[in-house]
Amino acid sequence: MENAFNTDTSLPQQAPARLGKVAFSGKAGEFFGIWMVNLLLSIVTLGIYSAWAKVRTNQYFYGHTRIENQPFRYLATPMQILKGRIVAVIVFALFFVLSAVSPALALLLALALLIASPWLIVQSLKFNMRMTSYRNVRFAFNGDYGNAFKHFVLLPVLAVFTLYLAMPWVLKRIDQFVYGNISYGGKKFQVNTETGNYYIAALVTIAAVVCVVIAFSVISALAVGATAFGTDSGINGVFGLSTVLFFVLYFLVFAMSGAIYQTMIRNHLFDNTELPEIAKLKSEARVMPFLWLTFTNLLAIVVTLGLAYPWAKIRKAAYLASVTTVAVYPQADTLADQAQQDGNAFGEEAVGLFDIDVSLA
Amino acid sequence: MPGSHRVTGQFHQAASSTLYAAVAEISPTGRLNIISATDKRSLCNAAADDYRFGTVLPGLAVELQLRDGAVFVPDDAGFRWPQLSSKAKMAAWLESQKLSILAAIVLSPLLLWWIIVYAMPMLAVAAVPLVPDSVKQQMGQQTFYSLQKTVLQPTELAAPEQAAVQYHWQMALQQLPLQQSNYKLYLYKSDFFGANAFALPDGTVVVTDDLVKLLHDKPDALLAVLLHEIGHVEGQHSVRLVAQSLGAALVFGILFGDPEGIADLVLGSGSALLQSAFSRDMEREADQFALQQLKALGKSPSAFADAMTALLSEHGDSDDASASLLKYLSSHPDTRERIEQATQQLTD
Repeated sequence: MENAFNTDTSLPQQAPARLGKVAFSGKAGEFFGIWMVNLLLSIVTLGIYSAWAKVRTNQYFYGHTRIENQPFRYLATPMQILKGRIVAVIVFALFFVLSAVSPALALLLALALLIASPWLIVQSLKFNMRMTSYRNVRFAFNGDYGNAFKHFVLLPVLAVFTLYLAMPWVLKRIDQFVYGNISYGGKKFQVNTETGNYYIAALVTIAAVVCVVIAFSVISALAVGATAFGTDSGINGVFGLSTVLFFVLYFLVFAMSGAIYQTMIRNHLFDNTELPEIAKLKSEARVMPFLWLTFTNLLAIVVTLGLAYPWAKIRKAAYLASVTTVAVYPQADTLADQAQQDGNAFGEEAVGLFDIDVSLA
Repeated sequence: MPGSHRVTGQFHQAASSTLYAAVAEISPTGRLNIISATDKRSLCNAAADDYRFGTVLPGLAVELQLRDGAVFVPDDAGFRWPQLSSKAKMAAWLESQKLSILAAIVLSPLLLWWIIVYAMPMLAVAAVPLVPDSVKQQMGQQTFYSLQKTVLQPTELAAPEQAAVQYHWQMALQQLPLQQSNYKLYLYKSDFFGANAFALPDGTVVVTDDLVKLLHDKPDALLAVLLHEIGHVEGQHSVRLVAQSLGAALVFGILFGDPEGIADLVLGSGSALLQSAFSRDMEREADQFALQQLKALGKSPSAFADAMTALLSEHGDSDDASASLLKYLSSHPDTRERIEQATQQLTD
């Protein structure tokens, strides 16, 4: 850690990178207490405290995630989160009620939301990036509405006309838009992802899902045959059994497809993303361990009726940190973000009405 | 020695990634002085108004935030500034006490259950009269219109048969003390619904040809079905279902929403189950209404049981084995339970 301290004598361009493991030090026991007590306080305050809960949770996870022993920091205040939630609740309730009262008006509102959604996404990304800091330098998001509309609305809609064949390419473009517009200390991330990797990830995921569905159909057909012969009320037993099997299959496919796609894309994305002259990312997640983790997490949450959620969340964060490394270049030690220096740090609470993260969660 | 702690840590200037090993000291008057640990020069000197403490969280150091954006972080993650108010330490204290965690484990599910099962339906009942009639008209008309366009075809029943159904309907409407006024009965052929009937919030009631044929020789059973549908309108169940489902969706979204989606799947199935539960409660209410009104009209509650029995044989509905699990997925109560309810009223 000593070498992290500033020495102005080194040659920034030539100096070799330091290899920094991402360390996560959050503990399931600690976070269980935080989550549980915050849940009760949120219920008792009719949801208002949930904004404080979100800030505390994020601060806990950011603060326990370190590169070269330096933690990330989450800077948003509960009032900012609360404002975003109130807006989200109003929009959600309006949409919910309208779709019940008047499908025609709801369609109109859906259209309005479709047009507004790129703006909301950009606002939320801007907010969340600006509220993330590492070594007292903030991240930023520089995407604009036009490009957000193109990537989140136009391209996915056009992909439908290619029978989703273009979807992996669209997903690559979306990732490039999101991550390529993030900057740290005034420097933009460079994302050099390849379309081919997105197609491979999509194909592997689909192939795995198809295999599981076929295997499951065979097994359940055998099981159903056995029950139908075994009992009088065979038909109803079969109906009940197949409902249960369907739910199990749904869980399995949900966990599996997510784990496979996320692992492959995360590795590819990280390995091809860098902050020129500051840092280079590397991810070495593996499909089977991550699949096992996702599946056992889901299972534990279901079996404990939700009580295992804090443990599952900590476990996932710890795994993802453990497979991530960052090569840090010496220039990272002397960054100064001009854009961020002016102004009053305590004045953040008085931000504009729409400088918020519009989200229920 | 409280008041003049010397705390070693790290200092960052505003918006700068440069790290300084530093020592911070807060004087009894609240003045903060931070000096470099290496060359002892002053890095920062601030009055009590110009700095504040960060959030207290388990396992994490409590940072000092300066007005200009600079930050001081103590090296010892367990260090707590003596100047911290007990209010600032309150949340972290509650989150680490066995007693409060235990209380949260016990009380959270209980309170949630009470909110969903009692408070929200009560609120929905109270809120329903506030919904203007025009909104209910809208809801009914729009739904009716889209059903007409999709799954309803003109009735193929003979005129006398139609007249008989309308007669029972009119008779029931005239003799019952109903709160809503715009009741209208329509007959439609529908392969989609089969033998079925449904009510819309504006008082529109639709009965399918198949149902009329099924209950052809049981006019009282058809009346029981009509009364059940009137029960839905009288109870304003459509509006209540919307209000309750919205409430439940908001409660779960706010309390458990997780941007990473780890819990979304579980919650998705949870809210579907809840919606079915709300719907089942309302079906029971409409059943009760039908049974009471049958009595008021001087008919036997067994007519309701007859209608259910006929529908049961028609749809080949649930039997003993599957019922235990599937009842949580169904929007209607178990038909056998409904028949039992009706026959119980007979013996009362």
